[in-house]
Amino acid sequence: MSFSEFHGNEHTVMRLREMLIRDRFPHAVILAGPEGAGKYTLALMLARTMNCLEPKVVDGLPDYCGHCSNCARIAEAGDLDARFAEAVEAREGLKETDKKETRILIQTHPEVMVVPPDPPQMLIKIGQVRRVIETVYYKPADARRRVYIFTAAKFMKEAANALLKVLEEPPDFATLILLAENPGELLATIRSRCVTFTLGALPLEEIERDLAGQRKEWGVKQRQLVARLSGGAVGKARGFDLDAYSAARKDALTLLNSAVETADHGELFRMTETYRGGEGKDKTGSLLRAAYSLLEDLLFLRSNTPELVRNTDIAAELSRLADTVDFEWITRAAAGLGKVESGMRRNLLRNVSLDAMVATLER
Amino acid sequence: MATSVSTAPDTKAGQGTAMEISVSKFDLLKELTATQGVVERKTTIPILSNFLFEAADGLLTITATDLDLSLRTSCQAKVKKEGACTIPARKLYDYVKLLPDGEISIKQMENHWVQIRSGRSNTKMVGMARANFPAVPGFPDSLGLKLPASVLKNLIAKTIFAISNEESRYTLNGALMVLKAESITMVATDGHRLAHIENTAQKFTGISGEMRTLIPRKAMAELSALLNTSDVENIDFAKDDAQLYFRIGPRVLTSRQLTGQFPNYEAVLPRDTNKSVSLRSEDLNGAILRVSQFADERSGAIRVKLEKGELRVSSSSTDSGESEDSIEIGYDGDPVTIGFNSHYLLDFLKVVNTGNVRLEFKDAQSAGQMRPEDSDDGTKYRYIVMPMRI
Repeated sequence: MSFSEFHGNEHTVMRLREMLIRDRFPHAVILAGPEGAGKYTLALMLARTMNCLEPKVVDGLPDYCGHCSNCARIAEAGDLDARFAEAVEAREGLKETDKKETRILIQTHPEVMVVPPDPPQMLIKIGQVRRVIETVYYKPADARRRVYIFTAAKFMKEAANALLKVLEEPPDFATLILLAENPGELLATIRSRCVTFTLGALPLEEIERDLAGQRKEWGVKQRQLVARLSGGAVGKARGFDLDAYSAARKDALTLLNSAVETADHGELFRMTETYRGGEGKDKTGSLLRAAYSLLEDLLFLRSNTPELVRNTDIAAELSRLADTVDFEWITRAAAGLGKVESGMRRNLLRNVSLDAMVATLER
Repeated sequence: MATSVSTAPDTKAGQGTAMEISVSKFDLLKELTATQGVVERKTTIPILSNFLFEAADGLLTITATDLDLSLRTSCQAKVKKEGACTIPARKLYDYVKLLPDGEISIKQMENHWVQIRSGRSNTKMVGMARANFPAVPGFPDSLGLKLPASVLKNLIAKTIFAISNEESRYTLNGALMVLKAESITMVATDGHRLAHIENTAQKFTGISGEMRTLIPRKAMAELSALLNTSDVENIDFAKDDAQLYFRIGPRVLTSRQLTGQFPNYEAVLPRDTNKSVSLRSEDLNGAILRVSQFADERSGAIRVKLEKGELRVSSSSTDSGESEDSIEIGYDGDPVTIGFNSHYLLDFLKVVNTGNVRLEFKDAQSAGQMRPEDSDDGTKYRYIVMPMRI
């Protein structure tokens, strides 16, 4: 393992590494970029480079060995979902009274603390930030630097405010890295205390090339499609579940079609009924995302920029749909999706909110 | 920063073989109880809620850590097979407490399962891979210094309550220990009051100049608990770049060091107090306790008034009323009235317990000093409280 395995954004990565070798790495950094752009991967790579026991220099830039005890332990945090699930399970096993006061933290290496959003609200909470403040002033013993990685930009208000002081003036040996899909979600006072680096979208061809190596089982057509759908994020493209997406998109199409052609609600109701059950929440999430991407494509078609369309495999169907709608309708549809989303947070019945959305869009 | 001493001297014995030991319930429970303060209850890092058990050479070594503070302790055991494993700390402690007295056999099984048998009881628990357990450094013997246990215990008790709880003032989240060839001093402050105690009855060889060490509050509390349950005469102390080490008998407490400079406390020690009075600490404690019932709940503010022949303590609050107590004293100087936080004064009187205390004031804007009068054990204890404007 080394930086050579990080795909894309060479300039940003190079700048970060240059700052490391000159010992000019900022004490607080925001890594911004869409989901799957490699923010977390890069943050762990930086943490390993700071603390590797057998550091290397490749082409004048610092790198890590990937096998020393520090690299290995930090790398264990790499499977964030699995570590997160373990931490949540550990909390579930605690006494009822302790459970309430326990916050999710991941620390596979004593000096590297990963702070994910705390369920069920999925926000970074004051208890987590307090723990960061409590520990940040202890001198590192197992490595050269203490590294804190916040994996999301969604903070509770008090938590964000509590972080300000330490963010402004952490001890010399500590580095704080905030990962953000949208840095605008962070307080302006947090942003101004950090140096922001953005991981941009990769060109389609580059993702296609990467997929050719990573997902050999896919045909050329599929790879092209996934490259478009992933929005330039390598991680998202590599782990793309095309079948699940196709299923969600089929339902999203049903949703939009029913809204346009009012004829028969039977098909719509049969479809939305399947979103009712216990696991419907994630399913509804993917349905909404698919619906948004369809609306986006309709917008491209209406704007005479068909080359930007992402769902290229159903281009014919989309252009047929595009002919029957106008901008105003697309705006209303997007607002309707937003309403369903916020309704889900309040536990509204999912199938009913979907039906209601369609009903308001009918003409 | 990782120095040679901070790499763990792992018990090499038995990596790969399944550990099997038998240990008396009394010994095991004693050691498990000692580690309870270190095992983190509220953690989502699974390995930290486990003990590391290592068996070799007739000894069972138990390690617990919360990554900032670690404790390694050991007891005699019949080691049938050397080895190491991890066991869920809380469950094991609760279970062992309930077992009848006698021998407990602990046997490592496959897939990190551990079997615990005693008499007719038989339990299996699942631990984690030993490799996941954080490395805990051993005591660096080359750097060791001896500190008298009873003196240290006293120093901690007299200062720990003054350590700051404010997370933003991180250099005050510990107590400063200053070692010189002829004295040991401990200082703690939260910015509003300062406890300072010096013991000159001891000689420390191997120290040139002075050695300043900031001991984190958690380590102070744990050290105090360990000293209270131990009857050793001396403890070993050492430090390197990143860690502090305390060896109390068979137990080694390791704490990470805090960064930052402890404030220059010498500058705030009052020198020109000109009004002083001596009185029984029980009298003063009683008076303040009564009067503070009627003090403002948030600030706990009380007035201390020094007059001819009398010390008056008074308080008033809009909610609960007002109260005054007076104590007869031999005072013949100028009158002075100073406001104090009653909690701060009571904290001090609680650890002084009995005997006479001397109060030393200058004026209403200057810090007051309190100290016990009759200390014959070579310690000089002083407590400085900032005044309040009331």
